[in-house]
Amino acid sequence: MQKFLGKHAICAGILALSLGGSVAGAGAKDIVWARYGDIDSLDPHRATSTLSLQVWSLMYDTLLAVDADGHPVPHVAKSWTSNDTGTEYTFSLNEGVTCHDGTPLDANDVKYTIDTAFDSEKPSLTKGSWGPISSAEVIDPLTVKLTLETPFVALIPFLADSFSSIICDSNEDAAGFGTDTAIGSGPWKLVSWTKGDKIVFEKNPEYKNFGKLAENPGAPYMDGLIITTVPEPQARFAALKTGEVHIAEPPFDDVAAIRESGDLQIMVAENTGQNVFWEFAVHRPPFNDKRARLAVAHATDAAAAINLIYGDLSIPENCPVSRGVFGNDQDFCAEYRPAYDPEKSKELLAELGYSESNPLETALLVWTGGNRQKLGEVFQAQLAEVGIKASIEIMDIGSLNARVRQENENTEGTTGSMDMMTWSWYDPDILYALWHTPGAYRGYTSPELDAILDETRVLTDPEARKAKVQEAFKYLLSNAIHVPLYTPGWEWVFAVRPEVKNFHVAPFVYPIFSDIKIED
Amino acid sequence: MLSFLAGRLTMGFLTIFVTTILVTLLIHLVPGDPVQIMYAQSQGTTPEQMEEVRKSLGLDKSIPVQYAMFIGRLLEGDLGNTIRGGQPVLDVILQRLPNTLVLAVAAMAIAILIGVPIGFFAAYKQGTIWDVTLMITAIAGISMPHFWLGLILLFYFAVDLGWLPVSGGGPLNLVLPALTLGLSNAAIFARLTRSSMIDVLSQDFVQTAIAKGLPKKLVLRRHVLRAGLIPIITMMGLQFAFMMGGAIVVENIFSWNGVGRMAVEAIFQRDYPIIQGFILTFAVVVVFVSIMLDAVYAFIDPRIRRSQT
Repeated sequence: MQKFLGKHAICAGILALSLGGSVAGAGAKDIVWARYGDIDSLDPHRATSTLSLQVWSLMYDTLLAVDADGHPVPHVAKSWTSNDTGTEYTFSLNEGVTCHDGTPLDANDVKYTIDTAFDSEKPSLTKGSWGPISSAEVIDPLTVKLTLETPFVALIPFLADSFSSIICDSNEDAAGFGTDTAIGSGPWKLVSWTKGDKIVFEKNPEYKNFGKLAENPGAPYMDGLIITTVPEPQARFAALKTGEVHIAEPPFDDVAAIRESGDLQIMVAENTGQNVFWEFAVHRPPFNDKRARLAVAHATDAAAAINLIYGDLSIPENCPVSRGVFGNDQDFCAEYRPAYDPEKSKELLAELGYSESNPLETALLVWTGGNRQKLGEVFQAQLAEVGIKASIEIMDIGSLNARVRQENENTEGTTGSMDMMTWSWYDPDILYALWHTPGAYRGYTSPELDAILDETRVLTDPEARKAKVQEAFKYLLSNAIHVPLYTPGWEWVFAVRPEVKNFHVAPFVYPIFSDIKIED
Repeated sequence: MLSFLAGRLTMGFLTIFVTTILVTLLIHLVPGDPVQIMYAQSQGTTPEQMEEVRKSLGLDKSIPVQYAMFIGRLLEGDLGNTIRGGQPVLDVILQRLPNTLVLAVAAMAIAILIGVPIGFFAAYKQGTIWDVTLMITAIAGISMPHFWLGLILLFYFAVDLGWLPVSGGGPLNLVLPALTLGLSNAAIFARLTRSSMIDVLSQDFVQTAIAKGLPKKLVLRRHVLRAGLIPIITMMGLQFAFMMGGAIVVENIFSWNGVGRMAVEAIFQRDYPIIQGFILTFAVVVVFVSIMLDAVYAFIDPRIRRSQT
């Protein structure tokens, strides 16, 4: 009897604790968003991850914003002008924007942010996302002039992204900026950040939305927002089911069942700018020969592969920069992208001297997660059908980036290396980073391509620039240097509780919480 | 007793000293340029910035100089800054270490409270159906991966019954990860307790005590349990280290914000200062716990402290 009582006393204790405590750990009017990982820093100059960018977009403002199609629109800056040579931009700021500490956000804050980004003592990790700015000058509290070293037309789309978040100059005096404190002017105000666990925000009651893609012109409707880290996909799914979490990325394998059950809404972000593509180690055989690269491109049926692994969650992409990014034109790119044609692939392989007994061998490097390893296996099978022997190697993104560069620097041997690379950017200027000498991965470069890419940076007329960007597409596609596969590719699917209304995701995967109302 | 403890402390310091050497070498064990790998995801990083990082980590110096610098910083309580985010590593670790310790201690308590009585009972009922059933269950428990058990408990108690939260850092959030970690370790304790007790039960002094007519319960409590606990206390030290390691998986499943999860993230992100700090902290905790248990061990069994003096 004693034992019986003891056991039941423990159970009752647990139950009492359960009922007494708050399961969600969130206030009644808080939105809870679970993600697989945490931010690296609250300081927009100290990190580069998508996870960090998404959070900065909630707590900071940017001079410009983007519309639903990804085009830059006014936000904190209500208008701008540039000189004829495209080396000076003057921005006129909206009045009434206030920082979270109550001070007005003005031209001094813009200058402070830019000066900090270009501080030679402690250079920003995201300096490149400001373009070649040489100085920022305060003309008056609501006017700021940026001077560039060289003309750079991508400055405007650059200023619409959270990489270019405006930091209020009052952060200068705040101890622990980036780790414990951060003063922005965005719709959500930082309460606390427990690294690895959660970020707690409260709404900014003073918020004024001039151009961000939210219907709400002012402060968010809900009181707070908690961004919590739940690394295990099944645990995120469980938390969504119990209501502990309102929004999270679901496990891919369960998406069909979730849709069928109707218990949760599935939202897919559009115009993410994410581009998943083949690229090759081009400084050694076999991929130093264009025909070998084309053989891979013709052997790849991206549409069938992504349909098998992601269903309708992702779509094939024809251009080297994805939908929503300036210059993207599916029909134009389809003309030059090597189409799925296994017979053509076999012909090219035979021409190169490969056969069943002497197959083209290559490593196939894939970034772990997001079911990409499964997709890699489908591509491996497709390549095997034409006689290409690809051995898959799965690694984290950091290792993949380093490995691709190593493979490009290795000029010895005859075993090839190709990889399923993933990049996201809001302007075709990404092609300059990837393929202009020396190239982000020290891969393919040529004087001809350099000249085209140089021009994409200086042409101020949108039509002329578009034509030049598409010339770069044509070059990359017809030479099978950058073979686009699909878009989007990572962190783009959201499962949402049914009581959550008006959740939407802006281009380049920036979730918007200002419009959300949670029904009882 | 004092010289026994002094001996243990010396061994502990030696272990930590060796760990500091390994931690310094760690960064050189990775093929390729570690700084390039660290910054592989940051295309905006200039060669000058990478050179700065190389200097700040002392990678431009010889390995002995690097070691001296590392020890110098360590003595000042400086474990460096994280690569991603630039925060002091010591702060990041100290923020999370208590969570892992709480989890490991709670799991240890569950393992002992469940494992020891089961093992004791199985030994007492040696050869019966009780014994066989309990030991088969224990083997099943040992074989069960934390990952699988964790998800089962999560879906049953949090989703189906709704009794406990899925993730987070509150007191209630501790229940499921501690149970996951504790249950499989309870099985280990059950098997160890059983074999230890069977050993003691067959000893002459136990048989004599029973033959003298002492009540069986008294013999079991006063003679058998005390003698049989010694190997179990030794095991506790080892198991604690295993639990700190096992916490890596369990913390991930239950989003428990401990050093194990931090280490996994750091490994994926190649954040060497955190990895180094984690290994060192882990070594210090394990050494400290071992010394504590050795002291308890010596206190329970006077033969041990005598043999050391």
